[in-house]
Amino acid sequence: MTVVRSVVGPRVFLASLRITVLQFLADPQWIIGSAAAPVVFALTAFEIYRFSSPTLVLFSILGGGMMSMWAQTLYGSGWATSQDRFLGTLEPTLGAPVGYVWVVAGRVVWNTISGLLGGALVFGVVALAYGRPLPVKDPALFAVLFVVVMLALSTVGLLFTALFVFSRYAGFVQNIGEFTFYVITGCMFPILILPFWTLPFSLAFPATWALEALRAATFPSYGGLSWGVAGDLVGTLALSLAYVVASWGLYRWVVRYLSDKGGGTADDY
Amino acid sequence: MSEPAILVQQVRRVYQSRKGFLFQEKVRTEALKGVDLEVAPGELFGLLGPNGAGKTTLVKILSTLLLPTSGTAKVLGVDVAKEPRRLRPRIGLVLGGERGLYNRISARENLRYFADLYGVPAGRQAERIRSVLDTVGLAEAADRRVEEFSRGMKQKLHLARGILHEPELLFLDEPTIGLDPKSARDMRQLIREQVAGGVTVLLTSHYMFEAEELCHRIAVLSKGKIVARDTVAGLRRLVGGDRTLEVEGYGFEDLELEKLRRLSGVSRIVTEEFGPKQRLTLRVPTGDLALEEVRSALGSRAELEIRERRTTLEDVYLDLVEEEAS
Repeated sequence: MTVVRSVVGPRVFLASLRITVLQFLADPQWIIGSAAAPVVFALTAFEIYRFSSPTLVLFSILGGGMMSMWAQTLYGSGWATSQDRFLGTLEPTLGAPVGYVWVVAGRVVWNTISGLLGGALVFGVVALAYGRPLPVKDPALFAVLFVVVMLALSTVGLLFTALFVFSRYAGFVQNIGEFTFYVITGCMFPILILPFWTLPFSLAFPATWALEALRAATFPSYGGLSWGVAGDLVGTLALSLAYVVASWGLYRWVVRYLSDKGGGTADDY
Repeated sequence: MSEPAILVQQVRRVYQSRKGFLFQEKVRTEALKGVDLEVAPGELFGLLGPNGAGKTTLVKILSTLLLPTSGTAKVLGVDVAKEPRRLRPRIGLVLGGERGLYNRISARENLRYFADLYGVPAGRQAERIRSVLDTVGLAEAADRRVEEFSRGMKQKLHLARGILHEPELLFLDEPTIGLDPKSARDMRQLIREQVAGGVTVLLTSHYMFEAEELCHRIAVLSKGKIVARDTVAGLRRLVGGDRTLEVEGYGFEDLELEKLRRLSGVSRIVTEEFGPKQRLTLRVPTGDLALEEVRSALGSRAELEIRERRTTLEDVYLDLVEEEAS
């Protein structure tokens, strides 16, 4: 009688991506987070540093853009899960015969893509304000690494969104953690200027490595961690993979936890 | 004999929470206290009970959203705690209320998303979505945003989502709650059609007439325990009979009530007071008791009003729940 054949994770991933896009398009307030905010950040940074060296201008704009994109990646994905709680769609989604991680992955990837679009917009607008293209050492490598940064951010987003499935209070943690994350991953400042004891925390995030790679490829004289673009890339990919694997296990645990303790309902919002 | 569609054995569910801020205190709530239940394939089984009785907890356990603290529950032969993923494609869950849908997108897009989640084959998806929208009467509104829907339409869409993947068993948690009479009637018809198509249904409801109209068998859950389970006729017998006599008058004395109790067939008398007036509700089996015997036991008072009616499921339910509470 039943028409069900099998539920395939990648198909659910695509379905989640699709519905996230549809909701994004149906809800104009997202434009603030994905387009307006990154531009405001970057233009502010540009105005502060416009009379400094071109490298400093690029560094600050890059940082501003990264902050906004990171916010979009984590906030967007976490918000979507909170929204699921609020709408009462979390339960039917958790009750589906597929790992919830696939659903979150679809959302995170869309938010990453929209962050990427926001980043591209930032560079476009600032280039217009600057009057000429930004002085990037190797534009092709820069573009590739830009995508790598976003993927690294998305793996962090994937892991952290589990908190939103776990608890309705995750938003508070995110609000506190967001600015710490900007500092610790070196979004705005090189991590080498931070106290030495913070370094292990910084290096635990794939985004830190990806940002290092991006900067090493962008600024001719960037010192950074001195592992070079290739070394930073290896670190990024290894940590990203570790985050994806950890997310897999974490989501299984969180969903089991919710089944055990109760929760995940609209009443728990 | 075929395997039961639902088999619940000694299922307990305890919720633990914390109270207070600095000095937190653990609060333990036992929502289900050893429930046993068996539902046959193709049966429409009703689960009734007051708020907080444990109905939704039981439905969530059976639909794999919640783990039992102890005991075993099998649905379609699959252990809900051990193999939830294997069971999920074979069951559908419809929770009542306004929530549970993506409001900013269309009904069709909502169904498309859940079709992917529940593994409806891609080649059959469009046809299946069209079919369920047609079944629930939302074909015309398929491409409208859900936020524009009335409550009744949302409830129909909930049902459409629940039956989209053609489950063998459907859990309906208060599917007509808050619906206007026309929408509720449509929903009941849709439920009947599902059962006619061979789907087993476990229905929870607060509406007694609905359960009486729809269900083959009913269980009454009170304070986490099943206090009765039978057909509606069986439940009527359990509380003393098909007939209900309502006797209204003034100043009934204990001696008179005792005389009533001793009358043949009277198994239960409920006394209520409305100011100076009293109402006695008697459950009696069909044909066992003449109204004259009641009049006689109460001293043939002139002001006596006696009404006779069929015992409703609501009467049965109130008797069982009040008995349990006392």
